[in-house]
Amino acid sequence: MILHTLNALPDTPAFNDCLSLLSSQDSLLLLGDGVYGALPEPLTVLERSGVAICALKSDVAAAGLTDVLPAHIRQIDYDEFVVLTEKYPRQQAWY
Amino acid sequence: MSSNSGQTLVVLRHSPYGSGLSRSGIDAALAAGAFEQSVNVLFLGAGVLQLIPEQDASTIGSKNIGKNIASLPLYDIETFWVDAQATAKFGIDPQVLPPQARLLDRDALRTLMCNHQHLLSF
Repeated sequence: MILHTLNALPDTPAFNDCLSLLSSQDSLLLLGDGVYGALPEPLTVLERSGVAICALKSDVAAAGLTDVLPAHIRQIDYDEFVVLTEKYPRQQAWY
Repeated sequence: MSSNSGQTLVVLRHSPYGSGLSRSGIDAALAAGAFEQSVNVLFLGAGVLQLIPEQDASTIGSKNIGKNIASLPLYDIETFWVDAQATAKFGIDPQVLPPQARLLDRDALRTLMCNHQHLLSF
């Protein structure tokens, strides 16, 4: 079980390396430039892995995507981010 | 594979001179080793470019990363785990890799990561 934090645009090496190592037992948190991964095309690719996906609310808002992201992508705040890090024994930062 | 598990896995995924990340990552591994922590290194994605032999970074006013990597075994880091898919993608002949290099496919990489308590990403 790995918490992946993805802070990279789609089609970058960090995005692609992350994608290739996702598993259905993992969680993926999109933050920084990573929030653009929740746009339709990259999201389809990420969801194929079966991973649970959420996005950092403040970064989503900064990108102007609050109302653009699909409802099933949970937008979490920093407190919920901390809860997530407690739930997963290890975290891999992709940037 | 006893050396396939441990406390900390330093994940090196950036090219050697594009940023300071590769040097910082190797330094972190050396520091952990110096304090006798159980630490392993994984060269993932573009990180495999750090292992290309005969680099001459003096031409760009930098120090070769290879010397730092070569000193890892002195700190009991005897195995360099390497992303096989990335070496193929970058056209790196496995024969030219350091003798400590062990190639892993993507499934084995995942297992390696899950066998460590902490992941440090550089």
